[in-house]
Amino acid sequence: MRTTYKYSLTALLFLATLTSCEDVIDLETRDGVEQLVVDAWLTNDAPQQVVKLTISQPYFDNSPPSVALGATVIVFSQDSTAYQFLDKKGNGEYIYESPEGESLIRNVGESYALYVNYEGEEYVSLAQLNPVPKIDSIAYEAFTSPINLNDSLPSSGFIAQFYATDFLGQGNAYWIRYRKNGKLKNKPNNLILSYDGGFTPGADTDGLQFILPIRQSINEFGGRLYQDKDSLEVEIYSLSLEAYFFLFQVVQESSNGGIFAVPSANIPTNIFNRNSASPKTAIGWFGVSSVSKLSTMIDKAKARPEQ
Amino acid sequence: MNLLLRISFLLMFFSAASAQEKFTLSGVVKDASNGEDLIGATIYINDLKTGTQTNVYGFYSLTVTAGTYDVIYRYIGFEDMKKRVKLVENQVVNIELKEAGNLLQEVIVSSKREDENVRSIEMSVNKVEMKTIRKMPAFLGEVDVIRSIQFLPGVSSVGEGASGFNVRGGGIDQNLVLLDEAPVYNSSHLFGFFSVFNPDAVKDVKLIKGGIPAQYGGRVSSILDVRMKEGNSKKGEFTGGIGTIFSRFAYEAPIVKDKGSFIVALRRSYIDVLAKPFIKNPALKDSQFYFYDFTAKANYEINDKNTVYLSGYFGRDVFGADFGFNWGNATTSFRWNHIFNEKLFLNTTVFYSNYDYSLDSDTQDTDDQDSFEWKSNIINYSIKPDFNYYVNAKNTLNFGGQVIYYRFNPGQAVGITGGERREFGLDDKYAVELAAYVGNEQKISDKISLQYGIRYSEYRYLGKGNAIILDANASTPGERQIVTDIKQFSQGEIIQKYGNWEPRFAANFGLTKSTSLKLSYNRLAQYVHLLSNTTASSPLDVWTPSSNNIKPQISNQVALGVFKNFSDNLFETSVEVYYKTLENQIDYVRNADLLLNPLAEADLLFGEGRAYGAEFYVKKAKGKVNGWVSYTLARTERLIEGLNQNEWFPSRIDRTHNLSIVTIFDTEKKWSFSANFSLASGTPASFPTNKFIWQGAALPHNYFDTRNDYRIPASHRLDLAATRKNKHALFGRGSSEWVFSVYNAYNRRNPYSVYTRQNPDNPMMTEAVRYAVFGSVLPAVTYNFKF
Repeated sequence: MRTTYKYSLTALLFLATLTSCEDVIDLETRDGVEQLVVDAWLTNDAPQQVVKLTISQPYFDNSPPSVALGATVIVFSQDSTAYQFLDKKGNGEYIYESPEGESLIRNVGESYALYVNYEGEEYVSLAQLNPVPKIDSIAYEAFTSPINLNDSLPSSGFIAQFYATDFLGQGNAYWIRYRKNGKLKNKPNNLILSYDGGFTPGADTDGLQFILPIRQSINEFGGRLYQDKDSLEVEIYSLSLEAYFFLFQVVQESSNGGIFAVPSANIPTNIFNRNSASPKTAIGWFGVSSVSKLSTMIDKAKARPEQ
Repeated sequence: MNLLLRISFLLMFFSAASAQEKFTLSGVVKDASNGEDLIGATIYINDLKTGTQTNVYGFYSLTVTAGTYDVIYRYIGFEDMKKRVKLVENQVVNIELKEAGNLLQEVIVSSKREDENVRSIEMSVNKVEMKTIRKMPAFLGEVDVIRSIQFLPGVSSVGEGASGFNVRGGGIDQNLVLLDEAPVYNSSHLFGFFSVFNPDAVKDVKLIKGGIPAQYGGRVSSILDVRMKEGNSKKGEFTGGIGTIFSRFAYEAPIVKDKGSFIVALRRSYIDVLAKPFIKNPALKDSQFYFYDFTAKANYEINDKNTVYLSGYFGRDVFGADFGFNWGNATTSFRWNHIFNEKLFLNTTVFYSNYDYSLDSDTQDTDDQDSFEWKSNIINYSIKPDFNYYVNAKNTLNFGGQVIYYRFNPGQAVGITGGERREFGLDDKYAVELAAYVGNEQKISDKISLQYGIRYSEYRYLGKGNAIILDANASTPGERQIVTDIKQFSQGEIIQKYGNWEPRFAANFGLTKSTSLKLSYNRLAQYVHLLSNTTASSPLDVWTPSSNNIKPQISNQVALGVFKNFSDNLFETSVEVYYKTLENQIDYVRNADLLLNPLAEADLLFGEGRAYGAEFYVKKAKGKVNGWVSYTLARTERLIEGLNQNEWFPSRIDRTHNLSIVTIFDTEKKWSFSANFSLASGTPASFPTNKFIWQGAALPHNYFDTRNDYRIPASHRLDLAATRKNKHALFGRGSSEWVFSVYNAYNRRNPYSVYTRQNPDNPMMTEAVRYAVFGSVLPAVTYNFKF
């Protein structure tokens, strides 16, 4: 368990020997064309589901985005049942609340379709709901950091890991999210993605317990260690392969600097204009996920001893 | 092509037939102080206005009409030797030249013109003396061959600290880096900060950017030919130094005086040794962080006709604690020089070269539940006979061949998770490359000389292995291709075969005594490729063979140059223009998964490239103040289906302007000083036009989906060095020097890259960031000794 930590430390030690530096600078870039942005990630774990519609803006324009109002938003389940999402507050958040107290996204293995009509253009998208493995347990062990990188943080505490096992069969992808004391840790440059329980498709980890670095990914490396009485909630979202590659690119484009940067490329979208000849196109993603959750409270009495 | 061959033979024998009674003067030219062969020493007969040069083994042969001549032997930095030779029969004259020492700075030793750069057939060739490289300011005081050649025209790098170098718009894998004829696959230590060549063991460095002669092949952009020292054959000698990064130590001595010698040279970084006492925490006590290289060579002259050489290089970088990551090269070459007679010289090289890396999450094997190991390598074995046939004073014929056997392990891994073990990755791949060549260097007249030749290379991708069948028609350009089938081949079966004719041509037209016009053309084929999608190559990048999907890279280059010397050869100048086309260039789909992926070929995109430019070079070779100025105006572009709306775009290594100034000031006293200045346009970059909010974070989007349509700001940097020579090293013996150097003297933060990101505190906000590898002045002190 120490391994991952040591790896990070070795890397830091190495980086510290260099004198690299980053400065925020002004950059002039040309402006593109505004587009409709669809942010729709629907899950099976809550009756209320949201589709956010906004408008893209010049890259360095740091004002709040304009919202897309007056759109028709409908989600269809595979049996063609239509669920209309409504923007009652007029803030671009189109909401559907299931009267049965259960999410409209509920049939694993089935596909869901999104329909958006905005300013006369019809946009559609399709997404498949995959199953998600259950989280068996969360464990934590006492840990003392060999180097204290930040004096304001305690140098000892606990590192946690969750246990879950990938489904048999190639190509199951997952998105791992966690909340520390109720706060969601899910930065776009650091999304935790797993393919068959490993990192990427190349490694054959199909059907195995999630690999150690993924299990331990619910710690803030270089940040604050878990302390006694901290609460921790882990969620696994199931992903379609397309959604996995979308999120992969989100991470890539959110942290693409340094010596080993790759050429930047656009984050893909699965939102299509029904009229392929129309100059109006949309960006964003429509995803559906099954969610499994487990939460715990760090109790020093239950922690595994330090190795 | 056969026609060309026939013509060349005809031309040769025609001139041979017309000869009167002729005899051959041949021999070996060496350094008198240590017995090292001198490469490229000139042998000149003034009365006949004819001459030749020693080859890489110091051998020369010159056939002229019978008579008595004053033969002048010359080598830069050495005293000329004039020898009266009465040539009434074939004669062997072995020469030892004395180093000019301090004389060089004050007196121009010879009254004869030192206009080799103008007269020789070579163009687009840069030689930097090791002496000069040693005097140039070095990064952290570590003398570095690869960093020094980046000050030459036509040579650049994607940024400070990046691995490798780019020549005339070519990728880093397009340079054939040879160490005593064996290829080196990764020329870097520490991700690219230092090169693998120990300066104490290097004798000669030559970079060939164009007009590449027929004996070279296998890479499409350049040849970096590094020759190691033979070792002092006169007396034992220790050299070494203590620098900021490395400690160096070399010993060279005769095996049998004047018959054989050896050199061993070791370098090791020692920051980990220094840090050890300060690491209090037991958990970090066993952490490893070092790199080293060991270079050894021996030669033995069996008799007048036969000399053998054995050289080896072993280098490795090691990082880790429980976790381990290491990589390194190993090369071994055995060479046999045989002089059949005064006209025919043979060198046969047999080499082995290996580059490998491995990652291990649990080096101590303490955890049987969770671990990960990963290994990759490229191994090749080769035999390469090269003949030099000195037909007559006007023709030198070179011919030979090469067989290379490749074994690739693109990556094999063992993962254990939750106690369950899995092996995955790729199977070994096999290939054979064969080549045969013939070339002739011909002096048509006093004014015109030609070099022409042809090389044929054949490549076989062999089983046991799989051919991945892709369906290009069903795939979207620019996206991952669809795999329709995987065909299995048994051992030795040919999966794919390629063959290429590679014509080479160069000409020198003497315009005036000090001016010449040179022209060259070459076509080159490359069968192995480095898959790397990152700005700088990382040690994990994998070399991959050409296959049914990956076609060999081909380049065609024409170059035209004017060479002129001024003030009695005090200033050497040249202007060269070149145009190069590149076929089958590799690019990558977004999300490309190149490591441990058996289907990585589906993630590759192919297209073409073109590179063109002009190189201006002024060198002051002599005097108290010497050095050079080089300026390159260049462009290199790619056209890849599925990228940049299928339009040409600047390659990520493109740098429009590139200016370098190297100045060395030798005082007669203890001190000498040097300065390097470099200025280069920024590399291209792509930036988003728009942002969109997704799950509370701003994500980038380029509406036009273009590539590399911006430039990051230019880089410039000044480095300084001062050397103080001491009379003695330790214990009152030998000599020593202190070298004080400052890298990045005026503390410029040169942008390595500029990229955009979410504000770390508020992911809805966006900003642009300039990343500089070196953000400060880097001073260093080095102590060198010799006794």
